[in-house]
Amino acid sequence: MERDPFVIAGHTLKSRFLFGTGRFPSPAVLQMALEESGAQVITFAVRRVNLESVEDDSVLQHVEDRQTFYLPNTSGASTAAEAVRIARLAREAGLGKWIKVEISGDARTLLPDPIETLRATEQLAGEGFTVLPYTSDDPILCKRLEEAGAAAVMPGGSPIGTGLGLLNPYNLGLIVEQARVPVIIDAGIGSAKDAAQAMELGADGILANTPIAKAQDPVMMARAFRLAIEAGRLSRLAGRIPKKKYASASSDWAGSLFEAAAGMGGKQ
Amino acid sequence: MDKPNWNQFRLYVITAEANHPGKTLADVMEQTLIGGAHIVQLRNKTGSRAEVLEQAKALRLLTRKYNVPLIINDYPDIVLETDADGVHLGQDDLPIAEARRLLGPDRIIGISTHNIGQALAAERDGADYIGVGPVFPTDTKPGRAAVSTSYVAEAARSISIPFVAIGGITPANVDEVLAAGAKRICSVSAIVGSPDPAATCRAFLQRIEAAEGKEAGRQKQLTVNGRAEQTNARTIEELVRQLGQQNKRLVVELDGVIVQRALWAETELRSGAAVELVQFVGGG
Repeated sequence: MERDPFVIAGHTLKSRFLFGTGRFPSPAVLQMALEESGAQVITFAVRRVNLESVEDDSVLQHVEDRQTFYLPNTSGASTAAEAVRIARLAREAGLGKWIKVEISGDARTLLPDPIETLRATEQLAGEGFTVLPYTSDDPILCKRLEEAGAAAVMPGGSPIGTGLGLLNPYNLGLIVEQARVPVIIDAGIGSAKDAAQAMELGADGILANTPIAKAQDPVMMARAFRLAIEAGRLSRLAGRIPKKKYASASSDWAGSLFEAAAGMGGKQ
Repeated sequence: MDKPNWNQFRLYVITAEANHPGKTLADVMEQTLIGGAHIVQLRNKTGSRAEVLEQAKALRLLTRKYNVPLIINDYPDIVLETDADGVHLGQDDLPIAEARRLLGPDRIIGISTHNIGQALAAERDGADYIGVGPVFPTDTKPGRAAVSTSYVAEAARSISIPFVAIGGITPANVDEVLAAGAKRICSVSAIVGSPDPAATCRAFLQRIEAAEGKEAGRQKQLTVNGRAEQTNARTIEELVRQLGQQNKRLVVELDGVIVQRALWAETELRSGAAVELVQFVGGG
């Protein structure tokens, strides 16, 4: 889509799909799904190495040598300070300065802590990171994150891994309307239909992991997402019809076989 | 004897009658036991089987008295007949598996090795310990090329079963062998050929203990990824290697501060430090 560039922090991306790498059944399936997705941005997490193993078990060995933007997340953090620490560790690995701020305020819902997310975004943007915060679908908070220096805002459709889809399309619509940075719907997407819906609402991109990795056929689902995201984007750009209460026929009545015959009424 | 702890031995002594003319085997070996030898091996390459059997019986009584394991070189049948604790094999003797079949799971089987390939094979084949040598040229085994302390260092890095350094080791050169990483020392002629074998054993043990003390002094208590670790690693680079993590794309944090990879080799560890080794895993 050359006439519809997707730009984050000055980088033009070929795909509006941001690809999560967790919980795939095998590295091979992960690689094939990534290939099918067309995604250029991949996310991952920072964890302690397994000291019991000397093999390179990092996810990176499976995805390196691609033209890729790396978006590590700060999952596991529950405060801004913890997120900042993880972000600095991730940057030290030498794969760029993008960071997905993810600060969980609650273990059951994994919903993001808005106060800590705002603090971390502010600090990391100040340190020169390209910050993409995962946030709740609150239009005011998204505005504040943008003002704090976020390179994109990433409201959730519903809690992480639930597959409940877009629980508040109204809020997401407001966020899209006001945002001056890209809006990426992150978390809660259940299927290709949810991705298409989010794109039609005006989202600039989709970040998904579980619905691909845990699909019965992750590789096929990755392709479904790619197509759905593209379809949703085109549909948004093309401009949908307004909703009406009653039917309006697809063809004019004029010329119908059952139209009153010309001349009979003597009106012409 | 205290069988479960046999592998804690430090000083391993081997008989060599030719080195103590005028003194009986039993007298000399008792002197080594008084001096603190932890294992005795009967090695007699020239005597008849009947002679070896007689010597084995005598040493069995003696080693029982001092609660020290007795190993017989080459004769698994004599091990069984005298209820010795194990057998020691050469590279050209019967295979470890065959010795194990003859002796059962509880007897000790040791084997001489002269390079790391043999050492790894012995470990794989189920040896309980290996000999590593000859470290220096020795009259006990003339004609065999010395392997030097570099093989000792290699064994210290790669071998997890007990290994005992052997060959031309004397109280005068043992420090070099210990510095290369040996924790167990075997000596033949330097001990049994000495005018005072007990004193020579004590001299060896003193050097071994001094090296252990130095080692202990270098030990540091660290917390690595939340786990208590004891290490003698001097720097982050050494620690990462010791933990076998050098092939991973790691980021290291020392006491909350990231240490860039270029600085690992010069960043020293102190006791009590907290180290985090992290990498990327799948995530959304």
